[in-house]
Amino acid sequence: MTRASALVAVLLGVAASAGHAQSANVTVRAQVGAAMTVTGARALSFGNVTAGVASTIPVNGVTSGRFLVNGPGNTGIRLSFTLPGTLVNGGSTLPIGAWTACRNNNNNSTNGCTAFTPSGAGTTATLHPSGNMNVFVGGTVTPAANQAGGLYTGTVTLTVSYI
Amino acid sequence: MRRWLVPLVPLLATAPLHAQSSATGVRDLTFGTVIRGVQTSVAATDPVKSGRFHVRHIQGRQVRLQLTLPNRLDRVGGGGTMNINFGPHDAVARGTAPSSAPFTFNPQANRLFTLDASPDFYLNLGGRVSPAAGQAAGTYTGTVVLTAIFF
Repeated sequence: MTRASALVAVLLGVAASAGHAQSANVTVRAQVGAAMTVTGARALSFGNVTAGVASTIPVNGVTSGRFLVNGPGNTGIRLSFTLPGTLVNGGSTLPIGAWTACRNNNNNSTNGCTAFTPSGAGTTATLHPSGNMNVFVGGTVTPAANQAGGLYTGTVTLTVSYI
Repeated sequence: MRRWLVPLVPLLATAPLHAQSSATGVRDLTFGTVIRGVQTSVAATDPVKSGRFHVRHIQGRQVRLQLTLPNRLDRVGGGGTMNINFGPHDAVARGTAPSSAPFTFNPQANRLFTLDASPDFYLNLGGRVSPAAGQAAGTYTGTVVLTAIFF
Protein backbone atom coordinates (compact mmCIF):
# COMPACT_ATOMS: atom_id res chain seq x y z
CA MET A 1 0.00 0.00 0.00
CA THR A 2 1.37 3.43 -0.94
CA ARG A 3 1.72 6.09 1.64
CA ALA A 4 -0.91 8.30 -0.03
CA SER A 5 -3.51 5.55 -0.17
CA ALA A 6 -2.84 4.64 3.48
CA LEU A 7 -3.69 8.19 4.55
CA VAL A 8 -6.96 8.12 2.61
CA ALA A 9 -7.85 4.84 4.23
CA VAL A 10 -7.33 6.35 7.67
CA LEU A 11 -9.51 9.37 6.85
CA LEU A 12 -12.26 7.11 5.60
CA GLY A 13 -12.00 5.16 8.86
CA VAL A 14 -12.55 8.35 10.91
CA ALA A 15 -15.59 9.45 8.87
CA ALA A 16 -17.40 6.12 9.06
CA SER A 17 -17.82 5.86 12.85
CA ALA A 18 -20.36 3.34 14.23
CA GLY A 19 -23.16 4.18 16.67
CA HIS A 20 -22.26 4.05 20.32
CA ALA A 21 -24.36 2.57 23.08
CA GLN A 22 -25.26 3.50 26.62
CA SER A 23 -27.42 1.68 29.14
CA ALA A 24 -29.58 2.80 32.03
CA ASN A 25 -31.60 0.90 34.63
CA VAL A 26 -34.77 1.38 36.61
CA THR A 27 -36.04 -0.94 39.30
CA VAL A 28 -39.48 -2.55 39.30
CA ARG A 29 -41.15 -2.95 42.71
CA ALA A 30 -44.30 -4.54 44.04
CA GLN A 31 -45.34 -5.15 47.60
CA VAL A 32 -47.55 -7.97 48.85
CA GLY A 33 -48.97 -7.23 52.28
CA ALA A 34 -50.87 -9.29 54.75
CA ALA A 35 -54.52 -9.81 54.02
CA MET A 36 -56.92 -6.96 54.78
CA THR A 37 -60.23 -7.49 56.58
CA VAL A 38 -63.30 -5.29 56.92
CA THR A 39 -65.92 -6.17 59.52
CA GLY A 40 -69.32 -4.67 60.17
CA ALA A 41 -69.06 -4.19 63.93
CA ARG A 42 -72.28 -2.30 64.70
CA ALA A 43 -75.49 -1.54 62.83
CA LEU A 44 -76.64 2.05 62.26
CA SER A 45 -79.88 2.14 64.22
CA PHE A 46 -82.37 5.01 64.30
CA GLY A 47 -84.69 3.29 66.72
CA ASN A 48 -88.31 4.46 66.71
CA VAL A 49 -88.88 7.47 64.49
CA THR A 50 -91.93 9.68 64.20
CA ALA A 51 -93.82 10.07 60.97
CA GLY A 52 -93.15 13.47 59.45
CA VAL A 53 -90.15 14.14 61.68
CA ALA A 54 -86.59 13.70 60.39
CA SER A 55 -84.27 11.79 62.67
CA THR A 56 -80.47 12.00 62.67
CA ILE A 57 -77.86 9.71 64.17
CA PRO A 58 -74.48 11.46 64.30
CA VAL A 59 -71.25 9.54 63.98
CA ASN A 60 -70.66 9.89 67.71
CA GLY A 61 -74.09 8.53 68.55
CA VAL A 62 -74.19 5.31 70.53
CA THR A 63 -76.10 3.69 67.71
CA SER A 64 -74.02 4.96 64.81
CA GLY A 65 -72.77 2.34 62.40
CA ARG A 66 -69.21 1.09 62.90
CA PHE A 67 -66.78 -0.86 60.73
CA LEU A 68 -63.46 -2.29 61.80
CA VAL A 69 -60.68 -2.36 59.22
CA ASN A 70 -57.50 -4.33 59.71
CA GLY A 71 -54.56 -4.59 57.34
CA PRO A 72 -50.82 -3.97 56.98
CA GLY A 73 -49.81 -1.05 59.17
CA ASN A 74 -48.89 2.24 57.52
CA THR A 75 -50.57 1.20 54.28
CA GLY A 76 -52.44 3.68 52.14
CA ILE A 77 -56.07 2.69 51.60
CA ARG A 78 -59.25 4.00 50.01
CA LEU A 79 -62.59 3.83 51.84
CA SER A 80 -65.47 3.56 49.37
CA PHE A 81 -69.12 3.29 50.34
CA THR A 82 -72.27 1.97 48.75
CA LEU A 83 -75.08 3.85 50.46
CA PRO A 84 -78.82 3.21 50.16
CA GLY A 85 -81.18 6.03 49.29
CA THR A 86 -84.07 4.39 51.09
CA LEU A 87 -84.78 1.85 53.78
CA VAL A 88 -87.34 -0.76 52.85
CA ASN A 89 -90.24 -2.47 54.59
CA GLY A 90 -92.05 -4.62 52.10
CA GLY A 91 -93.59 -2.22 49.62
CA SER A 92 -92.87 0.87 51.72
CA THR A 93 -89.72 2.94 51.64
CA LEU A 94 -88.19 5.41 54.05
CA PRO A 95 -85.75 7.99 52.63
CA ILE A 96 -82.27 8.10 54.15
CA GLY A 97 -79.40 10.43 53.38
CA ALA A 98 -77.16 13.21 54.72
CA TRP A 99 -74.52 10.59 55.37
CA THR A 100 -71.64 11.38 57.68
CA ALA A 101 -68.57 9.41 58.67
CA CYS A 102 -65.41 9.62 60.64
CA ARG A 103 -62.41 7.35 61.08
CA ASN A 104 -60.20 6.70 64.03
CA ASN A 105 -56.98 4.75 63.91
CA ASN A 106 -56.65 2.04 66.48
CA ASN A 107 -59.30 3.64 68.68
CA ASN A 108 -62.82 2.36 69.22
CA SER A 109 -64.08 5.88 69.90
CA THR A 110 -65.08 8.95 67.93
CA ASN A 111 -62.96 11.20 70.15
CA GLY A 112 -60.48 12.90 67.87
CA CYS A 113 -61.72 11.04 64.83
CA THR A 114 -61.23 12.45 61.35
CA ALA A 115 -64.55 13.39 59.75
CA PHE A 116 -65.26 12.81 56.08
CA THR A 117 -68.21 12.42 53.74
CA PRO A 118 -68.75 8.80 52.77
CA SER A 119 -69.01 8.31 49.01
CA GLY A 120 -68.61 5.83 46.23
CA ALA A 121 -65.56 7.65 44.91
CA GLY A 122 -63.87 7.01 48.22
CA THR A 123 -61.64 8.73 50.70
CA THR A 124 -57.98 7.96 51.15
CA ALA A 125 -56.35 7.28 54.49
CA THR A 126 -53.38 5.52 56.02
CA LEU A 127 -53.71 2.65 58.42
CA HIS A 128 -52.28 3.05 61.88
CA PRO A 129 -49.02 1.14 62.50
CA SER A 130 -51.14 -1.38 64.34
CA GLY A 131 -53.09 -1.96 61.14
CA ASN A 132 -56.43 -1.06 62.76
CA MET A 133 -59.02 1.56 61.83
CA ASN A 134 -62.55 2.19 63.10
CA VAL A 135 -64.98 3.85 60.70
CA PHE A 136 -68.19 5.35 62.10
CA VAL A 137 -71.24 6.15 59.98
CA GLY A 138 -74.22 8.37 60.67
CA GLY A 139 -77.18 9.60 58.64
CA THR A 140 -80.68 11.05 58.59
CA VAL A 141 -84.00 9.37 57.84
CA THR A 142 -86.92 11.45 56.67
CA PRO A 143 -90.22 9.66 57.30
CA ALA A 144 -93.24 11.00 55.47
CA ALA A 145 -96.19 12.33 57.39
CA ASN A 146 -98.11 9.22 56.41
CA GLN A 147 -95.20 6.84 56.71
CA ALA A 148 -96.43 3.30 57.17
CA GLY A 149 -95.43 1.69 60.42
CA GLY A 150 -92.96 -1.14 60.54
CA LEU A 151 -89.30 -2.05 60.54
CA TYR A 152 -87.33 -0.49 57.67
CA THR A 153 -83.90 -1.83 56.79
CA GLY A 154 -81.07 -1.22 54.35
CA THR A 155 -77.38 -2.02 53.86
CA VAL A 156 -74.31 0.14 53.94
CA THR A 157 -71.29 -1.43 52.28
CA LEU A 158 -67.73 -0.31 52.94
CA THR A 159 -65.07 -1.37 50.44
CA VAL A 160 -61.44 -0.90 51.39
CA SER A 161 -58.77 -1.02 48.71
CA TYR A 162 -55.04 -0.42 48.53
CA ILE A 163 -53.86 2.75 46.85
CA MET B 1 14.77 9.92 -5.80
CA ARG B 2 11.08 9.49 -5.94
CA ARG B 3 9.02 11.90 -3.97
CA TRP B 4 5.54 11.36 -2.72
CA LEU B 5 3.12 14.24 -2.62
CA VAL B 6 0.99 13.76 0.42
CA PRO B 7 -2.02 16.04 0.58
CA LEU B 8 -2.57 17.72 3.91
CA VAL B 9 -6.16 17.55 5.02
CA PRO B 10 -7.15 19.62 8.01
CA LEU B 11 -8.69 17.59 10.82
CA LEU B 12 -11.69 19.32 12.31
CA ALA B 13 -11.90 19.06 16.08
CA THR B 14 -15.47 18.49 17.22
CA ALA B 15 -16.90 17.07 20.41
CA PRO B 16 -17.25 13.30 20.08
CA LEU B 17 -20.82 12.06 19.68
CA HIS B 18 -20.70 10.11 22.91
CA ALA B 19 -20.09 13.30 24.91
CA GLN B 20 -23.43 14.67 23.70
CA SER B 21 -25.46 11.54 24.39
CA SER B 22 -26.86 10.02 27.52
CA ALA B 23 -29.47 7.59 28.80
CA THR B 24 -30.57 7.92 32.42
CA GLY B 25 -33.05 6.07 34.63
CA VAL B 26 -35.27 8.75 36.17
CA ARG B 27 -38.01 6.86 38.02
CA ASP B 28 -38.66 3.27 39.10
CA LEU B 29 -41.72 1.32 37.94
CA THR B 30 -43.68 0.98 41.15
CA PHE B 31 -46.80 -1.15 41.55
CA GLY B 32 -47.18 -0.39 45.25
CA THR B 33 -49.17 -2.82 47.35
CA VAL B 34 -50.82 -5.51 45.28
CA ILE B 35 -53.48 -8.01 46.26
CA ARG B 36 -52.99 -11.72 46.09
CA GLY B 37 -54.74 -13.25 43.13
CA VAL B 38 -55.48 -9.87 41.53
CA GLN B 39 -53.58 -8.67 38.50
CA THR B 40 -52.36 -5.11 38.95
CA SER B 41 -51.43 -2.76 36.14
CA VAL B 42 -49.53 0.48 35.90
CA ALA B 43 -50.16 2.51 32.77
CA ALA B 44 -47.19 3.97 30.94
CA THR B 45 -48.95 7.34 31.32
CA ASP B 46 -49.15 7.08 35.11
CA PRO B 47 -47.30 10.19 36.33
CA VAL B 48 -46.19 8.62 39.59
CA LYS B 49 -45.89 4.88 39.23
CA SER B 50 -44.62 4.40 35.68
CA GLY B 51 -40.94 3.78 35.06
CA ARG B 52 -39.15 6.62 33.30
CA PHE B 53 -35.94 7.16 31.35
CA HIS B 54 -34.42 10.30 29.91
CA VAL B 55 -32.50 10.06 26.64
CA ARG B 56 -30.42 12.87 25.20
CA HIS B 57 -28.62 13.03 21.87
CA ILE B 58 -28.29 15.49 19.00
CA GLN B 59 -31.36 16.98 17.35
CA GLY B 60 -31.83 15.51 13.92
CA ARG B 61 -29.90 12.35 14.78
CA GLN B 62 -31.23 8.89 15.50
CA VAL B 63 -31.36 6.72 18.57
CA ARG B 64 -32.23 3.03 18.69
CA LEU B 65 -33.83 1.88 21.92
CA GLN B 66 -33.82 -1.64 23.27
CA LEU B 67 -35.46 -2.57 26.57
CA THR B 68 -34.46 -5.67 28.45
CA LEU B 69 -37.55 -6.54 30.46
CA PRO B 70 -37.91 -9.01 33.32
CA ASN B 71 -40.59 -11.70 33.15
CA ARG B 72 -40.67 -12.11 36.90
CA LEU B 73 -39.94 -10.16 40.07
CA ASP B 74 -37.96 -11.78 42.85
CA ARG B 75 -38.89 -11.59 46.49
CA VAL B 76 -36.36 -9.64 48.53
CA GLY B 77 -34.74 -12.16 50.84
CA GLY B 78 -35.77 -15.03 48.64
CA GLY B 79 -38.73 -17.33 48.88
CA GLY B 80 -40.81 -16.46 45.85
CA THR B 81 -41.30 -14.83 42.50
CA MET B 82 -44.11 -12.83 40.92
CA ASN B 83 -44.97 -12.84 37.26
CA ILE B 84 -44.74 -9.58 35.34
CA ASN B 85 -45.53 -8.88 31.72
CA PHE B 86 -45.47 -5.98 29.29
CA GLY B 87 -47.98 -5.37 26.54
CA PRO B 88 -48.09 -3.50 23.23
CA HIS B 89 -49.11 -0.20 24.84
CA ASP B 90 -46.77 -0.24 27.79
CA ALA B 91 -44.15 2.18 26.46
CA VAL B 92 -44.62 5.85 25.61
CA ALA B 93 -41.92 8.12 24.21
CA ARG B 94 -42.25 11.87 24.02
CA GLY B 95 -39.85 14.63 23.10
CA THR B 96 -39.42 17.65 25.32
CA ALA B 97 -40.47 20.18 22.67
CA PRO B 98 -43.99 21.61 23.24
CA SER B 99 -44.99 20.34 19.82
CA SER B 100 -43.93 16.78 20.56
CA ALA B 101 -46.73 14.21 20.64
CA PRO B 102 -46.52 11.01 22.70
CA PHE B 103 -45.73 7.85 20.79
CA THR B 104 -47.00 4.58 22.20
CA PHE B 105 -45.21 1.37 21.34
CA ASN B 106 -44.49 -2.17 22.44
CA PRO B 107 -41.50 -2.18 24.80
CA GLN B 108 -40.67 -5.71 23.69
CA ALA B 109 -39.59 -4.43 20.28
CA ASN B 110 -36.53 -2.36 19.39
CA ARG B 111 -37.36 1.08 18.09
CA LEU B 112 -35.44 3.63 16.08
CA PHE B 113 -36.27 7.26 16.85
CA THR B 114 -35.25 10.38 15.00
CA LEU B 115 -34.94 13.42 17.24
CA ASP B 116 -36.84 15.85 15.05
CA ALA B 117 -38.08 18.50 17.46
CA SER B 118 -35.76 18.28 20.44
CA PRO B 119 -32.40 16.77 21.38
CA ASP B 120 -33.93 14.77 24.19
CA PHE B 121 -37.01 12.82 25.12
CA TYR B 122 -38.55 10.76 27.89
CA LEU B 123 -39.51 7.11 27.75
CA ASN B 124 -42.22 5.96 30.16
CA LEU B 125 -42.86 2.31 30.92
CA GLY B 126 -45.90 0.54 32.37
CA GLY B 127 -46.70 -3.13 32.92
CA ARG B 128 -48.71 -5.59 34.96
CA VAL B 129 -47.96 -8.02 37.73
CA SER B 130 -49.92 -11.17 38.55
CA PRO B 131 -49.54 -12.11 42.19
CA ALA B 132 -50.61 -15.66 42.91
CA ALA B 133 -53.47 -16.40 45.28
CA GLY B 134 -50.95 -17.67 47.78
CA GLN B 135 -48.25 -15.10 47.07
CA ALA B 136 -45.88 -14.72 50.00
CA ALA B 137 -45.94 -11.33 51.69
CA GLY B 138 -42.96 -9.12 51.04
CA THR B 139 -41.29 -6.86 48.52
CA TYR B 140 -40.62 -8.08 45.01
CA THR B 141 -38.16 -6.40 42.68
CA GLY B 142 -36.75 -6.64 39.19
CA THR B 143 -34.67 -4.54 36.81
CA VAL B 144 -35.45 -2.96 33.47
CA VAL B 145 -32.43 -2.11 31.33
CA LEU B 146 -32.63 0.45 28.56
CA THR B 147 -29.88 0.25 25.94
CA ALA B 148 -29.69 3.30 23.70
CA ILE B 149 -27.58 3.20 20.55
CA PHE B 150 -26.78 6.65 19.27
CA PHE B 151 -26.13 7.40 15.61
